[in-house]
Amino acid sequence: MNKQKLLGAAFISPALIAVIVFFLVPVILTVVFSFTNMSTSTGILGGEYQLTQSDLDDLSGAGVSDEAITLLQGAGYAMTDESLTAFETEFGKTRADELAQKFPDATFDSRRDMERALKELRTDPLRSTRERKAAAELFRQSILGQRYETKDDFANAVSALNISAADTQPLTEVAYTGWTFTTQNFELLWQLPATWRYAINTVIYVSLTLVFNVTLGLFLALSTFFLPDRIAQTFRTIWFLPRILPPVLYVMMWQWMTWDQGFISSLLAPLGVDRIDWMRHSAVHGWTVLVLINGFVGASLGMILFSSSLRAIPQTQFYAAQVDGAGRWQQIRYVILPQMRWPILFITSYQTLSLLTSFEYILLSTDGGPGRQTEVWALAAYHTALSNYGGNLEYGLGAAYALALVIIGIILSAIYLRFFNFRELVAKPRIEQ
Amino acid sequence: MRIHLQNFKKTFGDTTVIEDMNLTVEDGEMIALLGPSGCGKSTTLFAISGIHKINGGTLHFGDKDVTNLPAQERSVGVVFQNYALYPHMSVAQNIGFPLKVQKLKTAEINARVGEIAELVQIGNLLDRKPMQLSGGQQQRVALARALIRKPDVLLLDEPLANLDAKLRLEMRSEIRRLQRETGITAILVTHDQIEAMSMCDRIALMKDGRIEQISTPTQMYESPASHYVASFLGNPPISFLQAKADASLDLGHGNALPLPIGKAVQGELTLGIRPEHFGPQHDGPKISGQISFIEPQGREDLIDVMLPCGQKLRAIAPSGHGLKLEQDISWGTQMDRLHIFGADGTRL
Repeated sequence: MNKQKLLGAAFISPALIAVIVFFLVPVILTVVFSFTNMSTSTGILGGEYQLTQSDLDDLSGAGVSDEAITLLQGAGYAMTDESLTAFETEFGKTRADELAQKFPDATFDSRRDMERALKELRTDPLRSTRERKAAAELFRQSILGQRYETKDDFANAVSALNISAADTQPLTEVAYTGWTFTTQNFELLWQLPATWRYAINTVIYVSLTLVFNVTLGLFLALSTFFLPDRIAQTFRTIWFLPRILPPVLYVMMWQWMTWDQGFISSLLAPLGVDRIDWMRHSAVHGWTVLVLINGFVGASLGMILFSSSLRAIPQTQFYAAQVDGAGRWQQIRYVILPQMRWPILFITSYQTLSLLTSFEYILLSTDGGPGRQTEVWALAAYHTALSNYGGNLEYGLGAAYALALVIIGIILSAIYLRFFNFRELVAKPRIEQ
Repeated sequence: MRIHLQNFKKTFGDTTVIEDMNLTVEDGEMIALLGPSGCGKSTTLFAISGIHKINGGTLHFGDKDVTNLPAQERSVGVVFQNYALYPHMSVAQNIGFPLKVQKLKTAEINARVGEIAELVQIGNLLDRKPMQLSGGQQQRVALARALIRKPDVLLLDEPLANLDAKLRLEMRSEIRRLQRETGITAILVTHDQIEAMSMCDRIALMKDGRIEQISTPTQMYESPASHYVASFLGNPPISFLQAKADASLDLGHGNALPLPIGKAVQGELTLGIRPEHFGPQHDGPKISGQISFIEPQGREDLIDVMLPCGQKLRAIAPSGHGLKLEQDISWGTQMDRLHIFGADGTRL
């Protein structure tokens, strides 16, 4: 490798590293996560082994024999070193010693027997029933509710209960509290009716906003193009304001406009219109506000890009069109728009992809409401994985949502490029013959 | 169609570019607006086409007052310097565009496009895009587009400026042929005197927003109205000499020419002598000097002669003259072709 190539590699390496760290790694992690059942309850590092009372109901479904279930339920009570130590810390050494002396290595079949044994304490009797119940619980021989750090510990505990090896395997799976690899996220996505709701919402959101965006951007660019320079400049600056405003402030202004004591309501109240929350009153209100919030921001980008590409069309072409007899509308239709294909394609595809994945304005305004009627796919992914009311954040399912979005995005961009005949657009002109 | 521009005034902001200009182009005539850049010739053209508004005066196409009509409603065809073809349309679409915006039927548009394409000889290129054409072909497309509507007037804005020398020659005669064949009234804007002289019936020579002289090329060359006109036409250019009229036209240091017959001249004057009217091959009154430069041109040589008074005179001598640098000479001048200009630059 010569010096120049080395220098080139050196110059590109920071960018390359940034791409890998900030793009490639997150994408790969998303793919990996989407094939796990990772959530708050499983943690992200790995897990322990624990069977709970509620797990018992699922066990026969997981292929554990009834015999084993019975063994798990009724393992009885026993005087063991561990249980005596636990009793000693709770109820004192005098009692523990007396108990050990009176019932060396004894076992009891039921709690009643165990409590009866506890009544035998004489030096310092346990008088209340509640105390005896709590104490009896300490002698209970069961793995239910017990945490085992490793798989082997759990297996030992299970075999101590005389559960057959055939049942150990499914039991271990049920007992594992960490995350595992699974495809159930995608099955769930396919089956949940809510998923389809989110998909439809996304289509509504993206297509409405896109149409609004691109049309308004084009309209603004064209109308300012035919205006005198200074007025046009002022106009464009005003339209650009939402974009340079922090989203939180921008949405806050919309909130202030639309809430039931806000600008719109106050304006309409004297006209006899009921004060309502114009943002969350109904799905239609929600969608309208969302399209406007996003559309005004998106339109400014289109406007700037369209304006500059308009100015790239030589002035003489407009002169020629004029003397050819084309009116303003015909100039737009036949001369301008065909030559704006590339910027329109760019804005359309760019906006589609960014609208598909961006949800910050929705999060800040309706947050998917009213109900979940404006919950779009990306917002659902966010809610599922990072912020939900239940408190159990389902990272795996959220990643599956996100992965679906990535795949849809790639397919869409491929379609766009094909539809707009990208190759012809970038083909080199052939001059002369 | 006769084009009549009267008391035409054009301003850009506070700057008046053209004031009180009159121009009449006869039906079927091709006229050149000739002048250096910034003299207002393109401005005039754009005003006639309707692209720029006319700030004062009137414009008539035939009997019709078009002064306040927008470009779309005037019947003009324009060929722009850069052709201004629509890059996204094929050649056929470009040519047919003026008809398309009139919402004519496709069949008729196609027929007329085919017809005009044959006239400008690009019938085989109709499916190409402008990008795939050479400069000369683009020029023909632009011409066809300008002509397809059968406009009242054809306006050509420096149509040959972007072509190489060989194509320029070819397109010069081609444009003239088309204009003759279609019998269209045409206005050519150019800064190239050869273009203007070779292509047009008349030339309007412009300076600083005024028409300095308007006449046929020959007339303009032979009897320039002013110092400026004389200097603009002719290649190699005319030489000017400062002279004092007394008993003779005194050039100083012994050189003098006789007073012209039938002209009363007096005082400080400027003489204009074209190179082809001074040289060893001419009879007439002699002017002496020293050869300071010889520029061989093939058929003839261009010779600069330094006069004793320090002024320079240019001569054309047929090749094979055997002259050398710094040789002293005394050559004849054709007195009947001598131009005399007064102190204000007008010809006497």
